This record gives sequence, structure tokens and C-alpha cells, in this order.
Amino acid sequence: MSLLSVESLSKTFQTPSGPVHALRDVSLSVERGECLAVVGESGSGKTTLANMILGILAATSGTIRFDGRELPVRRGPEHRRAIQLVQQNPLSSLNPKRSIGASVRLGLDTYGIGARSERWARVEAALEEVGLPGEMRRRGPSGLSGGQRQRVGIARALACDPELLVLDEPTSALDVLVQARVLRLLNELRAEKRLTYVFITHDLAVVRNVADRVAVFKSGELVETGETARIFTAPEHPYTRSLIGAVPVVDEDELQLRNTLAGEQ
Amino acid sequence: MSALLDIRDLRLGFKGLRGITEVLHGIDLAIAAGERVALVGESGSGKSVTARIILGLLQEARAARVSGAVEFDGRDISTMPARQRAKLRGTEMSMIFQDPTSSLNPTFTIGRQFAEVMRRRQPEMSREACDRRASEMLAEVSIPDPARVLSAYPFQLSGGMNQRVMIAMALVNHPKLLLADEPGTALDVSVQALTLRLMHDLVERHGTAVLFISHNLGVVREFADRVYVIYRGRIVEEGPTRALFDNPGHAYTRALMSAVPRITGAGLPEVPEVSDDFLAPMVRHTGGAA
Ligand SMILES: Nc1ncnc2c1ncn2[C@@H]1O[C@H](COP(=O)(O)OP(=O)(O)OP(=O)(O)O)[C@@H](O)[C@H]1O
Ligand SMILES: Nc1ncnc2c1ncn2[C@@H]1O[C@H](COP(=O)(O)OP(=O)(O)OP(=O)(O)O)[C@@H](O)[C@H]1O
Ligand SMILES: [Mg+2]
Ligand SMILES: [Mg+2]
Repeated sequence: MSLLSVESLSKTFQTPSGPVHALRDVSLSVERGECLAVVGESGSGKTTLANMILGILAATSGTIRFDGRELPVRRGPEHRRAIQLVQQNPLSSLNPKRSIGASVRLGLDTYGIGARSERWARVEAALEEVGLPGEMRRRGPSGLSGGQRQRVGIARALACDPELLVLDEPTSALDVLVQARVLRLLNELRAEKRLTYVFITHDLAVVRNVADRVAVFKSGELVETGETARIFTAPEHPYTRSLIGAVPVVDEDELQLRNTLAGEQ
Repeated sequence: MSALLDIRDLRLGFKGLRGITEVLHGIDLAIAAGERVALVGESGSGKSVTARIILGLLQEARAARVSGAVEFDGRDISTMPARQRAKLRGTEMSMIFQDPTSSLNPTFTIGRQFAEVMRRRQPEMSREACDRRASEMLAEVSIPDPARVLSAYPFQLSGGMNQRVMIAMALVNHPKLLLADEPGTALDVSVQALTLRLMHDLVERHGTAVLFISHNLGVVREFADRVYVIYRGRIVEEGPTRALFDNPGHAYTRALMSAVPRITGAGLPEVPEVSDDFLAPMVRHTGGAA
């Protein structure tokens, strides 16, 4: 049984200039322990999908199951703890008036994780897990670099001891060295804690190296899914090919692969 | 030819509870008119603060201690009155921030924000004229439905659409210098490639110089003429893009290059340990400086 399954999910936003079909009839599933990458066009509904999985948005139609049970829009505390988000946008996701430690601790207090007396220690441990010094918890987010804030966001989700992490561009603000460390960390944590990831990103090179499977979106529709290796060697949908064909590359092997795939359009 | 932007021995510290924290330790950086220069490096190494100093924003922050020369078009930004600095922003130089949602005003429509930007240069411009010009710019960054976007609030748009709006807004007044801080991060790779091509074209057509800050070395390789690598507030390597990528000379640059994930998929790269070599003296490639 899949940990997460999404069946015929659609979302339409009503706006003054007419309805926007952000997601149309999308079905997909994610196994426990798996990393599913969600890639595609800007504005194709990836964040909308994430928000429905998290219960932030109600679907227009369709269902979402978690561990076999249908998820209501209004989640109980257990589901809210079990499904955590690491956001695209590190600045707006941290309260500027709170110390970063207090932001990380919020989830622990809300879901009653750990004894009250040991929660600060847990906060520091979570910060250290993502490569930040524990004593940094006293600082506010405004004095941190973009990359440092992004790591705080990951620490905050991990501190809640989740089962499913929805990662919306979790490493795009990081330099590639720190990115590689965070991705390795995410890989280790996934293996160690049997975490499941829905990994939204525009960075296809990251996808190639961390995801088990890939789902490709365009204009609110799921146009292709498959094992990562297959997507990158024999993409079927023309849109998938055009995406891979546009990847910025740094070496000749990559250039060759890219041109071969793009050439088949 | 003298540089459009000439930064010499730039230092920055932040005053905190426990004294001053030094962030930039004497940076030299120059950009010629129409040149595309990339600044890459560690998270937290001082790329965004450098851009904020060029814009004259940090000089006004109470906790910041800025010293050194920042000459733009022959005038020193650091010593200029605050009002003059403010006049340069959005007209002669403009910026695309790392995080579009924090720089777009959530309570105004995109159309209204465009009008405000355009009226900084042409105060008499009518709203209709602004909307027309804004639609053209939005179309140039491949926004499929400019009319909807102009009447939308930022929260009604996806992250990538907001980023494209920012780019269009930053270029609408034809600045001499564009500071682009992670401009493509939120875009899908096809739109990113398109946007970079657009920025590239505009640079050539209008002679706009660009300071391009990015973690994506593939993008940098395709976009920039010249590259500066920064580590912990010091420039560690500088050179023409090709030379620097083909033959990275500094230990930190080499570590960065080795950590880039590849679409050929050899697994996550081994992460080199932080080493004392990262603090070695700067490497300069010859034949490329402005
Ligand atoms: N609250 C809202 N009201 C109206 N339209 C919305 C709202 N949220 C999203 N949309 C629209 O829904 C579509 C999908 O947006 P979404 O944020 O899910 O895209 P995305 O795939 O995450 O894009 P990106 O890669 O740029 O982050 C877009 O056209 C967007 O403008
Ligand atoms: N207002 C501030 N007060 C105190 N320290 C600050 C302030 N702004 C930035 N810093 C510090 O200055 C250093 C440089 O920050 P900056 O934002 O320029 O990094 P960056 O190179 O842009 O990093 P990233 O790639 O993660 O965006 C960081 O260590 C940051 O913590
Ligand atoms: Mg999104
Ligand atoms: Mg920055």
C-alpha cells in the first residue's frame, strides 16, 4: 500500500479575470521510503498540489489518501505532524519577530513532541543536523544568509518527526557544496527514519541524483511519470525532452546527453 | 575605458551585541559598461550584501559599517547624499532579488506596482500607457497572459511567475546596471533559459551591465563573460568564464566545481571537507579583466 496516493485531483481558482485551472485530474502515488520528484513548468500546479497534500488548500475534486485512509481537508494534529513542509521561500516562511530557535520549537510545542524540559535541546540537535551551530537558535532570521535560513526550514520540519516531507525547492538557495551536504543529509535521514519525500524542484540535475521516480507537470496536468533513470535516458513526452534539453550544464558529458535528448524532439 | 562600476577595498561589518562582525574583508570588483559579470560562492559569503551596498541600501542601515570606494558611472555611491542614491535605484540601476515575494508589495496589483516603477523615470506617464508597456515587458519574459497578471496580486501567481514579473519590472526603465540576485532559481529550466536569453539580448541592445549572483554554475557558464568567486567575504578567484571553468585555480573554486550535481547521474558528489586551502591567496586569470 502506498503511503500517499492522490486520485483524480483537480483544483480551480476563481479569479476576477475568470477561473484558473491550476491542477487537472492528477493521479499519482508515493511508496513509503520513496523519493518522488515533481518537476515541470513554472505555474503548472506543483505548489498547488503540495498545498493540497498538506491540507492548506481544499481540492475542487478528487481524493488524497495517506497510509490508506482518506485525508480530510481539516487535518487532525497527528496528520499535521506526520506531513511536514520545507518551503520554497526561506525568508517569508520564518517569522522575523521570532528567534529561529523559537520557530523550530513551535512544532514541538504544538504537537507535544518530547518533554518540555528537553525541547531546547531537541531544537539545537535539529539545527546541528542541518549543519548550523546549536547556539544559533537565539538569532533572528534577518541576520542569516538565504542559505542559512533554508537550513533552518529543514530543521524545523525534521524536529516534528514527520513521515512525509513535502520539499518545495529545499536547496535552490544553497551553494552547491552546502547543497550536496544537505542532499546527502536528506538521503541519510530518509534511509534512517524511513522518511518519504515529495521533492519539488526545477533543478533536474538534483532530481537525477536523489529521486527514485519523477512526475512531470505541464499546465496543470501530469504529462509523464517514470523511474528516474528512464526519464533521463528515454523521456517519452516531448515536454520532458524539452525540459531536459534546456538544463544548464557544466561538462561535456552532460552537454552530449542533453543534446542527444533535445535532438530527438 | 573606465569601468561602469568600480569597487575598491570594500569592507563591511555588522554591529551586534558582541561587537562588530566582519563580513566583507576588502573586495575589489569592476564591471565594464555592457559586461555580464557573475559573482558565485558560498552561502553567506557576502554576495547579497555586496549587491545591497552597490544599490546604496546598506549604507543607510544603522548596524552596518561600510568602507571603501564604490564608484558607479564616475560617482562614489558611498559618499553621495541618501536622496541621490535613492534616485539612482530603479532608474540607472535596478535589482532583481533572490526572493520575489519579499520585494513585491502583497497589497497592490502587479499593474499598479509596474506603474509606480515606470513613473520614477517618467512621472507623467498615464496608467494606460504604463499597462501597455508593462504588458509588452511581461510578454518578453514569456508570461502567457499579461492582462491577468497585471490585475493579479502577487499571492495569486506562482513563484516562477512572480520572479518573471520582477525581471520585467527591473528592466522596464532600461537601467545601466542590473543587479540580479539568483534570478532564475524559481523558474523552470526552459523558462530560465528563455529569461536568460532575454536578459542577454537586452544587455546587448541597451548596453546594460549585469552583476549576476547565482549558485547555479551551469547558468553562470552560459550567461557570464567573467566570473568572481567569493569565499567568506574575500574574492578567491577571478577570470573570464571559459578560463575559470576549464582551469579553476583556487582550492575553493575546485571544491565548488566538484560538488555540482550532473544530469548524467553519477550519484550525489562526494563533498570535499572544508580545508585551510580555501583561505589561500586569490587566483587571477589574465586576459579578461575589464
Ligand atoms: N491563490 C490563488 N489564486 C488564484 N490563482 C492561483 C492561486 N494560487 C496559484 N494560482 C495559479 O495556479 C497556477 C499554478 O500555480 P502553482 O503555484 O501551483 O505553480 P507551480 O507549479 O508551483 O509554479 P512554480 O514552479 O513557478 O513555483 C498558476 O497559474 C497560478 O497563477
Ligand atoms: N542585517 C544583518 N545583520 C547581521 N548580519 C548580517 C546581516 N545581513 C547579512 N548578514 C551576514 O552577512 C553575511 C553575508 O550575507 P549575504 O546575505 O550577503 O550572503 P550571500 O553570499 O548572499 O549568501 P546566500 O548565497 O546564502 O544568499 C552572512 O553571514 C549574514 O549572516
Ligand atoms: Mg511553486
Ligand atoms: Mg544571497
